[in-house]
Amino acid sequence: MKFLKIAQVAILAAAFIPQIAFSAGGAVKPPAQEWGFKGAFGKFDNAAVKRGAQIAIEVCMACHSFKYIQFDSLKQFGYTEAEIVALAESQGRTKKDKMISAMDDVSAQESFGIIPPDLSLMTKARKGYEDFVYGILTGYLSESETGVVDAALEDEKISKAEALELAPILHADATKIEHIKMTLDRISNGDNFNKYFPGQFFAMPMPLSDGAVEYADGTESSLKQMSHDVTTFMAWTAEPTLIERKTLGFKVLLYLVFFTILLYAVKRRIWAKAH
Amino acid sequence: MSKLMEWVDARIPVSDMIKSQATEYPTPKNLNYWWNFGSLALFMLIIMILTGLFLAMHYKPDAKQAFDVVEHIMRDVNYGWLLRYLHANGATFFFIIIYVHIFRGMYYGSYRAPREILWWIGVIIFFLMMGTGFLGYVLPWGQMSYWGAAVITNLITAVPVIGEDLVIWVWGGFSVDDATLNRFYVLHFLLPFVIFALVIVHMWALHAVHSNNPDGIDIVDEKKDTLPFHPYFTIKDLYGIGVLLIIYCWFVFFAPNAFLEPDNYIPANPMQTPAHIVPEWYFLPFYAILRSIDFLGSFSKLAGVIAMVGAILVLFVLPFLDRSPVRSFRYRPLSRSLFWIFVANSIMLGWVGYNPADATAFDGALPLIILGRTGTAIYFGYFVMLFIVTAFKIEKPLPLPKSL
Amino acid sequence: MVIEAEENRRDFLILATGAVGVAGSAAAAWPFIRSWSPSADVLALATTEADLSALTEGQMITIPWQGKPIFILYRTAEQIAQAKEADSASLPDPEQDKDRVHKEQYLVLLALCTHLGCVPQPIGTGDFGGFLCPCHGSHYDTSGRIRKGPAPKNLPVPYYTFKDDHTIVIGKPV
Repeated sequence: MKFLKIAQVAILAAAFIPQIAFSAGGAVKPPAQEWGFKGAFGKFDNAAVKRGAQIAIEVCMACHSFKYIQFDSLKQFGYTEAEIVALAESQGRTKKDKMISAMDDVSAQESFGIIPPDLSLMTKARKGYEDFVYGILTGYLSESETGVVDAALEDEKISKAEALELAPILHADATKIEHIKMTLDRISNGDNFNKYFPGQFFAMPMPLSDGAVEYADGTESSLKQMSHDVTTFMAWTAEPTLIERKTLGFKVLLYLVFFTILLYAVKRRIWAKAH
Repeated sequence: MSKLMEWVDARIPVSDMIKSQATEYPTPKNLNYWWNFGSLALFMLIIMILTGLFLAMHYKPDAKQAFDVVEHIMRDVNYGWLLRYLHANGATFFFIIIYVHIFRGMYYGSYRAPREILWWIGVIIFFLMMGTGFLGYVLPWGQMSYWGAAVITNLITAVPVIGEDLVIWVWGGFSVDDATLNRFYVLHFLLPFVIFALVIVHMWALHAVHSNNPDGIDIVDEKKDTLPFHPYFTIKDLYGIGVLLIIYCWFVFFAPNAFLEPDNYIPANPMQTPAHIVPEWYFLPFYAILRSIDFLGSFSKLAGVIAMVGAILVLFVLPFLDRSPVRSFRYRPLSRSLFWIFVANSIMLGWVGYNPADATAFDGALPLIILGRTGTAIYFGYFVMLFIVTAFKIEKPLPLPKSL
Repeated sequence: MVIEAEENRRDFLILATGAVGVAGSAAAAWPFIRSWSPSADVLALATTEADLSALTEGQMITIPWQGKPIFILYRTAEQIAQAKEADSASLPDPEQDKDRVHKEQYLVLLALCTHLGCVPQPIGTGDFGGFLCPCHGSHYDTSGRIRKGPAPKNLPVPYYTFKDDHTIVIGKPV
């Protein structure tokens, strides 16, 4: 009886949840990706973290810091002592230093109008988590998409056919030509368009494109591969204790289930006398 | 050993106390599993105090260091991540348990005579818990911490005449800042011990009037109707703790951020408010009530605060609103229906509180503010209806059993 | 008979459950105990490097290592001779000077008096040409050995290595 009542309440509550709409928005939810470190038994792919660290240092650290991470701690992903010293020196640091960008706040403010946020916690600090970070990195206009945009920009007017073509690229409503026109104007103005950023425009220019780095292990450095690798690295910087946590958690839960079964058996036995 | 106990007992009657109040304490034999939530709440309080104590040994209440020091705990301190996740998720489970505990009391009429004072102490504990939870959420000094503190302390400005000065006094400055964080930390440390003391008073009051039971009738024959607390209820409580730990630890180890907002991993920035700020889930129904009063012009702000505080204060008069000759809703069909509407409504209010103030449902057909206002009306309506249904004898209670 | 067997099984079940519970509670205490041990960032500071190229003969510097003072003295020929001479004297805590240094000219000491933990005063303040502890008047010689006063032991020599000719690393890396 009671259970039915609770179920009723839950269903009643759940019935409302899907049809929600915010007046604010414009952001498109980035598609979910596969992450090997997710799930109860997930593990970090060390090779991917190592490649990601290379991108983080060679590309991201031009502007961003990872202030909670020491260069030295990259050893665990297969970097040698000499490689770490070289990576740190490339940023004007020593291996014992934290991964702080060489760019100072004042010049960052001058170039971008904003101080680039620290990236150590980025995958935990945004709705969508790793998928959001991956979405941002891959959410800029591709070469072919830029072509479509440029073609549409050639004349002042945007035709219906152009609007239909542009709508999926800009994640816009094809019937709202005014909105599409405004977006195109901002793109031609040099603003950075990104499909998955709330509001679609933001301060960071496209950081990665095919072949932006040369991987030491010979992996092809496609945009997707690099985005996946650097996001994996950032998932590690956000929570270096992730694997320790899950490993311990598995043992703790195993114990608790066993112990609770025992307690239940004792409870049954003791209460048998009462009835 | 027995010699030693004799010596102690002659001076302070420990053995008698344990016997009469713990081991042989007569407990109604028909208590169901909803009665487990009292001991579960005590267990969570102990976990919170323990983990909090050890976290406090590493934390620094300094606006410049607080965010980094939490990350230091997460990364550098041995098992620091475990302590913090136990503490953060512990708050969530503590509140889940307390809400079930309160709903149980409401359903089985545990607030009725002679348990009014027992109930009031419980409401005070609940109120202090909300204060402690709010203060604790400020300590990691992330964006949600900061803006949650800013919004809630700004409620003080609703106080007529002295509100503006009062909030500056609470802040110790002209905005939420270092001084605020420092005093919030001290209070967050202090309040759990006040709660602990009140829990002892709560149990004292409980043992004076004894437990209610699902039938809500008094014990006629102690021999037939009760069982000694030990071993029957000690083992039942332990089993309950085992089940709780399984669920709690699952979240701690495998989904520790499920109840945390991503924005709180962004350091506090007084120059920028996050797009959508929400309090922690356990404040959401009250937050929805606060926001639902927006139609009274310049009086809305104060009225909203009064409604929110009133939503808790009304629990104090509940024992006098319920005039039924019967305690347990098992035998009160109308009250029972009202109760389940109240529960569903509370969940709905929580959901309204979670969403932005200007959100709509059903393709814009239903602004959530309407739902919020309706929910607020139903929330207070429950207490009015319960009074009407019982005071004017509209409800015909079912026949009660003669004994347990 | 049947009832007795039932009783025994119950006893065993309760005992086993109790044991499992006690073991679990003990294990749960471990993270709390461990949280007091030095954290990773403190352990990362287990070693200290110092550049000795600017140090001249007869000069002494004090550097912090793990929160404790380290004396590094560039000994003069006279101070070395004094220390060696005393090898054969009757010492409260006998030790050869050569066992207390890696390079004869550099004397490296953990500068906490072995009596009650005060920091001795710089070289030349005590009898025997060495260090005087101001708290209770212990005198250490030019090898940091106790010669007079209440301290029971010589000033300890910390673990250290020379990275190159003039860079010293104090402490063992973790």
